Amino acid sequence: MRQIKKITWLIMLPMLLHTMVMAQTSIKGKVTGANNQPVSNATVAIKGKAKASQTDAKGEFAIMVSKGETLVFSSVGFVSKEIKVAEQTIINVKLTQDEGLLEGVVVTAMDIKKNPRELGYSVQKVDGDDIQETQRENFVNSLQGRVAGLTINPTSGAAGASSSIVLRGFNSLSMSNQPLFVVDGIVVDNQSVDETSDGGRGIGLASDRPNRNSDYQNRIADINPSDIENVTVLKGPEATALYGSQASSGAILITTKRAKTSKLQLQYDNSFRVSELTRFPETFDKYSNGTNGVAASSFRYFGPAYGDTTILFDNVKLFFRPGISQTHNLGMDFGIKNSFFRLSGSIFDQQGVVPNNDFKRYNLRLSNTTKIGKYIELMPSVSLIRTDNNKVLRSAGGYMLSLMIWPNKNNILNYEDPVTGDKLPLFSSNPNSDYDNPFFNVYNNVAKDVTMRATTSLGININPTSWLSVQGRFGYDTYSIDGYMRYHPKSYYLSAAVQGTLDNYWRKYAGYNHTITATAKKKVGDFSFRGMVGTMWQDYQTKMYAITGNTLSTTESFDSSVTAPNTRVRLLRNYFGEYNRQILRQFAYFGEAAVSYKNMLFLNYTHRFESASTLPVKNRNYNYPGGSLSIIASDLIKPLKNSDVISYWKIRTSLAGTARLNTPYSTQSVFVNNFASGGGFSYGFTNANPELAPERQSTYELGTEFRLFRNKLNLEATYYNTLNKGQIIENFRLSYGTGFVLNTQNAASTRNQGVEITLGSNVINKAKFGWNFQMNFNKMWNKVIDMPKNVAEYYIADTWLYGNARGGLVFGGPTTSITGFGYERNLNGDVLINPANGLPVVEQLFKIRGDRNPDFTLGINNSFRLNRFRLNFLWDIKVGGDIFNGTHRFLTGAGKSPLTADRYTPRVVKGVLKDGKENTNPTPNSIVIIPALNDAYYTNMPEEDFIEKNVNWLRLRDLTFAYAFPKKPFIDLPGIKTLEVFLTVNDLVLITNYTGADPAVNGNTAGSRGVGGFGFDYGTMPAPISFNFGLKTSF
Amino acid sequence: MKKNIIFYLTSIALVFSFSSCEKKIDEAFANPNASVRVPVETLLPGIIGNFVGSSAAAGSAYGLANDGLYIGRYVQYFATNSSGNQYDQMGGATGASDVLGSVWAMHYFGMGENLNKMVKWGMEEKKWDYVGVGYAIRAFSWLSLTNMYGEVIMREAFRPEQLVFNYDNQKDVYDTVRAISRLALEYLNKTGDNASQANLAKGDAYFYNGDVNKWKKFVYTVMARSFNHLSNKAEYKPDSVIKYALLGINTNDDNATCKFANTGITGTSNYYGPLRGNVGALRQTEYIANLMNGLNSRFAGVTDPRAFYMLRENTNGTIRGIKPNKGAGALVTADQPQSFWGQAFSSSAAPVSDATCRYIFKNGSPFPIITASENKFMLAEAYLRKGDAASARTAYADGISLNIDHLNTDYSASVPAPRLMTPAIKSAFLANPAVVPPAASLSLSHIMLQKYIALYGFGMMETWVDMRRFHYTDIDLSSGAQVYADLVMPTGIDLFINNSGKYTYRARPRYNSEYLYNIAELTRIGAIALDYNTKEQWFSQK
Repeated sequence: MRQIKKITWLIMLPMLLHTMVMAQTSIKGKVTGANNQPVSNATVAIKGKAKASQTDAKGEFAIMVSKGETLVFSSVGFVSKEIKVAEQTIINVKLTQDEGLLEGVVVTAMDIKKNPRELGYSVQKVDGDDIQETQRENFVNSLQGRVAGLTINPTSGAAGASSSIVLRGFNSLSMSNQPLFVVDGIVVDNQSVDETSDGGRGIGLASDRPNRNSDYQNRIADINPSDIENVTVLKGPEATALYGSQASSGAILITTKRAKTSKLQLQYDNSFRVSELTRFPETFDKYSNGTNGVAASSFRYFGPAYGDTTILFDNVKLFFRPGISQTHNLGMDFGIKNSFFRLSGSIFDQQGVVPNNDFKRYNLRLSNTTKIGKYIELMPSVSLIRTDNNKVLRSAGGYMLSLMIWPNKNNILNYEDPVTGDKLPLFSSNPNSDYDNPFFNVYNNVAKDVTMRATTSLGININPTSWLSVQGRFGYDTYSIDGYMRYHPKSYYLSAAVQGTLDNYWRKYAGYNHTITATAKKKVGDFSFRGMVGTMWQDYQTKMYAITGNTLSTTESFDSSVTAPNTRVRLLRNYFGEYNRQILRQFAYFGEAAVSYKNMLFLNYTHRFESASTLPVKNRNYNYPGGSLSIIASDLIKPLKNSDVISYWKIRTSLAGTARLNTPYSTQSVFVNNFASGGGFSYGFTNANPELAPERQSTYELGTEFRLFRNKLNLEATYYNTLNKGQIIENFRLSYGTGFVLNTQNAASTRNQGVEITLGSNVINKAKFGWNFQMNFNKMWNKVIDMPKNVAEYYIADTWLYGNARGGLVFGGPTTSITGFGYERNLNGDVLINPANGLPVVEQLFKIRGDRNPDFTLGINNSFRLNRFRLNFLWDIKVGGDIFNGTHRFLTGAGKSPLTADRYTPRVVKGVLKDGKENTNPTPNSIVIIPALNDAYYTNMPEEDFIEKNVNWLRLRDLTFAYAFPKKPFIDLPGIKTLEVFLTVNDLVLITNYTGADPAVNGNTAGSRGVGGFGFDYGTMPAPISFNFGLKTSF
Repeated sequence: MKKNIIFYLTSIALVFSFSSCEKKIDEAFANPNASVRVPVETLLPGIIGNFVGSSAAAGSAYGLANDGLYIGRYVQYFATNSSGNQYDQMGGATGASDVLGSVWAMHYFGMGENLNKMVKWGMEEKKWDYVGVGYAIRAFSWLSLTNMYGEVIMREAFRPEQLVFNYDNQKDVYDTVRAISRLALEYLNKTGDNASQANLAKGDAYFYNGDVNKWKKFVYTVMARSFNHLSNKAEYKPDSVIKYALLGINTNDDNATCKFANTGITGTSNYYGPLRGNVGALRQTEYIANLMNGLNSRFAGVTDPRAFYMLRENTNGTIRGIKPNKGAGALVTADQPQSFWGQAFSSSAAPVSDATCRYIFKNGSPFPIITASENKFMLAEAYLRKGDAASARTAYADGISLNIDHLNTDYSASVPAPRLMTPAIKSAFLANPAVVPPAASLSLSHIMLQKYIALYGFGMMETWVDMRRFHYTDIDLSSGAQVYADLVMPTGIDLFINNSGKYTYRARPRYNSEYLYNIAELTRIGAIALDYNTKEQWFSQK
């Protein structure tokens, strides 16, 4: 209620302040741009006076002027033009595009459109058509390689998989590093379900799991890629300073398509996809089941070699199926007078390459732009989305690992008793002791999510005068997810006594946010001033009702009622029939002051004041500044003007602070359920910190932009340096002397730096042939520069998914390190050997053994045009960065890795005996081992051995070949304007030195926090190769 | 004028909306899912659950029973049914393992702040009984903690904002046990206000059911223990032991025992029962078997009627046990003892039902923490050391008698009918001079061995203290024989390599608490050494 009052006031205020002026002669006219396109929203002002008018959608305007006065026509992206009024009553003006401006207008924070010229930070824009053309249903996956400094880490190649997005590397050690998503000025949710519920006090699953075995869509992927007009990526600090702490990891601004005229227009396109999984971890299949050279009934392959007559099945091939999907998109523009509508719908239906893994999405969106009078524009929209995702388990517990070590003597298709339908035994009479046949696994250990979402937004623009504009953006975003995850009673992953487990959950999200800004502009001589004030209110609530139980009475139903009542565990509030909640509320007001000189020097200052509900009262109100300076050196330095070599040169710098918030409630140590006799409560693991303050992030950025050879070539380079101080470290361990197991403090600091270079060229631009080229280079480096001295390592528990390797952070190390066990060595660096058995001694300490951060990444996009053919392809290059290949370690221990092929070759492990003299008088090892007869040789190998160093990749991410039919003679149907057919191939080529299936791996889902699980491979399913073909037409 | 009005109205509206935002923000601060304060009555069950093996949404298995799985091997109560187990070899925890860290977790976290808050809020609410019980448990917990780990964090414990912690000497911890015990008694003696049996019973229903008098006896016996443990020290005073033991637990009705609701989930069942599945690979040792089957030289030829209550027979129907680190060893199949759940020797599996399980190895069996029998043996030892052999003999006989009664009352389920102890069997046993000799012949060896039997299976923590006081193999001066008669300590390959030929005297602090985050202090006390577990503790040193 109060909100509405406030909104009303702010809307009315400028209208009331608007003063009436006297009328003279009426002048009418039309403003046009290139190709005689009308320029709407252009300002028509009278020089030296406050009075101004604006053009409408048709570019037409009307204004009262006196003779002899000068009209100034201006619009963002165009060079202003002045015309002196004489006797005319009609003035038609053609504006020319600003030369230094190839991308046109950019949307910046708070949905404010600016001329890129004045920005003191780097902004990159991706066109919606480019996104749509990749045919990737999760649109964020199409951004990889297209934006310098943007990294996408998809969880897997499964249908409905989540992806996490990182801009400019990792700043926070234990908080989210994902950017804020803003659609048409409205903050839109991009959570993935985080399965951890911290003993029932959080909003995860009741079984409180560590984000490894399942996956949940990152919710921004609900957006229909066909609705995207363009995506603007705000990486810089200054850009995000205005969005506040939610955008401390950057912001991705999505502008949706809107109808531009009231004319009826229809667009339809479709795409049919066939996918095939072609990349697998290398396995080796010569030895039968057994250990130490002796046959045994186990899933280890250290038995005798297979005989010549042994029939081996190609089980991997038998398991996967071709993935098939189709999508249909329909868009319709229509309107009445000054009210334009766009209605769009989409159906996406995917059958994944893994059996029983399917994904469906339905989108419907209606948006409208209505002009009321001269000053007011309303832009309401509503989107309805439904997704259905049938999921299978992944990673540890998934089908992939058991498929890799399934005995090929056994036909994988025979996994259940044809009569009883029971799991067929392989090595054990107890079905829970045998690995799950991958088919059994995907059909019986199953999960499903159904999501229903509605996002509504309202944009209001009021431009009462030429110097004042007021904008309001109001958004309400809500969804519900119903889901379950079931382990079959006979699954290997449970003991027989458990008799199956079932997790059910009902998740509800509702988020409201608005921003209201008022901007005033004023020009005095060569100086232009702009001032903006605004306010933002955010209120996000996620609710979860989750229950887990075991002892399933039937496997036919997925309702929680099939679990035994005494085994059911719920989230804490669920015991009282209520949802667990997580609420974040934040109020902010902010301002911006900008001054520019002769359109070539731009100085900008912003300040934001925030108040957030996650913090204790005394630390709740905080603020931070941002400033930037942009110089158009090509205008400033006279000799450069009109140079043939440098047509445009800009130097920019910015400096900004921001804050990052703690997780709600991490300030309060709370009680969780106690299950001992008598029940009651006990403290949870976490020592919450009532003194918590927001994390402080300060960044400076230096950049330059060139347009060379008459805009043929443009080059942009940026360096940034971010210092994160007083990081909120949640769930870090200390001595139990604290009274708790986990702790929460403002403890560590990191420094994160990087260089981004983009190079674009319009190499050839002839009528019949064109070649466009763009390259995005990104190099980042980062370091933990402060950490409590006694904490040797802080790690995100989720990443400890296999063996003894995890995403551990060490003082002085990179934030992307892999810590793990390695070899024990003497002072000379020789590996120490156990004198008793000749095997190396493993140092059981988590030390830095690798760094996942690549040396650099490079995206290269080429677009060719020849007559009516188009060819686009995007190369994605990564050089350097280590990966923990847990799959390889698993296969090695099981005797399935090619590493074990020479197992009968006797060998002496190079090293010195650990005999007490290793540092004084080392004895070289001479103990001969035949690994086949002593397979501890393989299982003893520390994780250090399986961290693959400097993994590179060259990947052809997306390739599109399209043909546009000419109007005649092919398209003669009435109404059809354009018709294009296309073929798009995803992930066609992968050249890598990685020995696993695909180096784009992630051990955790997007729900994990901190640096997350990228670079951890354990049974990860790679992306399949996909062929998409379809047509695109408009009426 | 008009502008002014607009200005004021706007300002009012803004101020109004700011303050309402502030209110909405403040409303969202508190955790809506979980409480920052709960009734003290709801804290006590979990704290009591920590005596044996906790089970909460924040961790399980903290307590004496989990570490007892390893300590029980040190004292040769049981051993693994296969060879090569480092704890059968008296090894300490190694590598990144939290083994033997459950008591550490029990004290600092499981009971930890829960107990502190129970005391604090109990004071605020004038629930003096809860305050007293809190101190009583804390006194017990400090004593258990230091007996296991030696030097521990005491003065600096429970400082949530601190990063590293200093350790305190064991002597200081012992003094603290007594100081806290006295505090406990002070509050347990305080009646009125909001203290009442009915209200205390809400919290300790599965322990003393609200009886503060029993809690006082618990405290006195803890104090008796604390004096009794110092038998090797110059400051040892048998009268102190006698004084507090007489005030302590002297009837089975006063036994400090954790009881279980046994509702079919792990949390409400006994840690050693088949549902929790923790003792599948453990088998009784030759040492306990021989003490009860007449093969031990101290009780030669005496068949102990308690054997079929506490131990398992083999297919021959006899009571035999295994040697540590030897698996079945030389025992022929028919002599190999069943598992504690009545399964075949080689089977580690838990039966679906506990119908054939006995003693403390059933899902619902109560788990003793301190018994009257133990208290009597402490008395007997103190009297004997004082030179009052007659009183020592009485206390000794009472100890055996109370133990037999305890077994009959609480643990007769599933005992084969012919093996049930009748009053006649009991009196015949107590009348046997090979078991209860005349006062003049009563030796420390008698007392310690009968105590060893009476604490079998659950009292390994206290038995370990006893065995360390006698350095496992000390000679009984009166008889010239080993106090723990016939006890064979592991040597050679049966003694863990890191021990360097020495026996185990302590456990190292919990790995994931101390060895990663408190290195400086561990270095100072020598806990980084691989044989730290063999470093003798202050309490047992002469």
